[in-house]
Amino acid sequence: MVELVKVSKVYPPDIMALQDISLSVKRGEMIFLTGMSGAGKTTLLKLICSLETSDKGLVEVAGHDLNRIKPVVLQRLRQKIGVAYQDFRLLPLQSVYQNIAMAMEVSYLPPATIRKRVESLLEQLGIADKRDKLAGKISRGEQQRVAIARAAANAPTLLLADEPTGNLDATITKLVVGLLESLNQAGTTMIIATHDQSIYRQTNHRVINLEHGRFTEPPMEP
Amino acid sequence: MRFFPYILKQTGRNLRKTWGTQVMTLLTVSLSVLIFSFFFLIHTNILKAGARLGDELRLIVYLDDEVVPAMQEQLKKRITDFNEVENIVFVSRQEAFARLANNLDQDRDVLQDMSPTFLPPSIEIFPKKNLKTLTTIKRFSDYLITLPGAQKVQYGQEWVERFGYFNSLLRIVVLLSAGLLVISTVFMVSYTIRLTLFTRHEELELLRLLGATNTYIQGPLLLEGLLQGLMGASLGLLSLFLLFSWIKLRFSGPGFLNLFDFSFFPPATTCTILMTGIILCSLGSLISIRKFLRV
Repeated sequence: MVELVKVSKVYPPDIMALQDISLSVKRGEMIFLTGMSGAGKTTLLKLICSLETSDKGLVEVAGHDLNRIKPVVLQRLRQKIGVAYQDFRLLPLQSVYQNIAMAMEVSYLPPATIRKRVESLLEQLGIADKRDKLAGKISRGEQQRVAIARAAANAPTLLLADEPTGNLDATITKLVVGLLESLNQAGTTMIIATHDQSIYRQTNHRVINLEHGRFTEPPMEP
Repeated sequence: MRFFPYILKQTGRNLRKTWGTQVMTLLTVSLSVLIFSFFFLIHTNILKAGARLGDELRLIVYLDDEVVPAMQEQLKKRITDFNEVENIVFVSRQEAFARLANNLDQDRDVLQDMSPTFLPPSIEIFPKKNLKTLTTIKRFSDYLITLPGAQKVQYGQEWVERFGYFNSLLRIVVLLSAGLLVISTVFMVSYTIRLTLFTRHEELELLRLLGATNTYIQGPLLLEGLLQGLMGASLGLLSLFLLFSWIKLRFSGPGFLNLFDFSFFPPATTCTILMTGIILCSLGSLISIRKFLRV
């Protein structure tokens, strides 16, 4: 599903975010990227969702080389990649419902399907009562759940989550992990960047540690 | 097709978000269309009036002597070589006298002591009935005076020349107002769309990340321009129609407007103005999309 071969990324003037990293993620797999702040986790996710481009190496998602992908193909690919950004990227003046629904609206899904899916996600994440609230008027923890719901809304084949439990307490973290697990079991490939040990300590999924833009040990095949 | 409801929904959202500017743009487009179509309406009516007045237009070339039939053919050829004409009539001295007597009717006694050959023979030329004739009639008259035996050429010089000047002036005003229409609509709509883009900058960036297609992002903006054109041009034309109806009602009866049949645009012209408004506004929208939207 995701192939990275000797990928490097440098931010100006000379900050080496990623150095010669290679990684292969199989379809339906769930992996955790761990590491300190500034280790390169977010950069790696940004390369996979084509928010940034690599300076060296190959980044391939669903068979598409992201450095050479055509805009039309990228648009279609992005509809199938759900991303929960660390800074949420919500529209503060739109309701919680609208923020989640827009991920499906770009795929022209029927309004009834959208309504059903959004309401189900809101229920699963414990924010059903916030449905019509403006996204800018809810707490950080609730905003984070809205961001996760939007990433999961369009039945993505690949879901990237950057610190998905950063602002959540233990109970809500369980809800979020439960949702991510159920999506993974339904076939969604997951790459989760986190330094919250509680969400990966008990799992059998691969955990890859990043330090100064490099993997501390070569990522094993599952 | 689920595409259209989404485009309409997005367009509605855009219009609501920037409604103040939208209203200003709508008024500017309407006013531009009103100004242009007002002058254009006057121009088309003047053209029609010109054509009607042209019905009664004829040039009379007074000659020194009667023209023999062979010469008549030569003169006819020389006249038609210069300009297309409806008809050419040769009037002899006797015919001219008979006409005058006929016109005088009961007062024909005044001609009793006159010789029936005291009037000069003439050629009556009826030009083609179009505005080109009116505008080129001076040159035609200058040419006719050079014909062999021509003594004097007469036609309604004064009014024809005034009409020509007025028409030229009006044509310039119509062209200027058309320029105003193009500049104001394209500029205003382009500015409004630019404002929409800035207002929705964050949202458009997010839509791009969610995989929205170019059509999904650009469609509502194009539709916004198109609607501005449709509504602005309709409003402008409606205002003109109301103004036209008021003028016609207010100045009906004997007066200057009865000189010619003052009428509104035919449906085809109305549709053309409407379409032009739509195209210009869509163009304004497209310019902003191309310039400021990165998709």
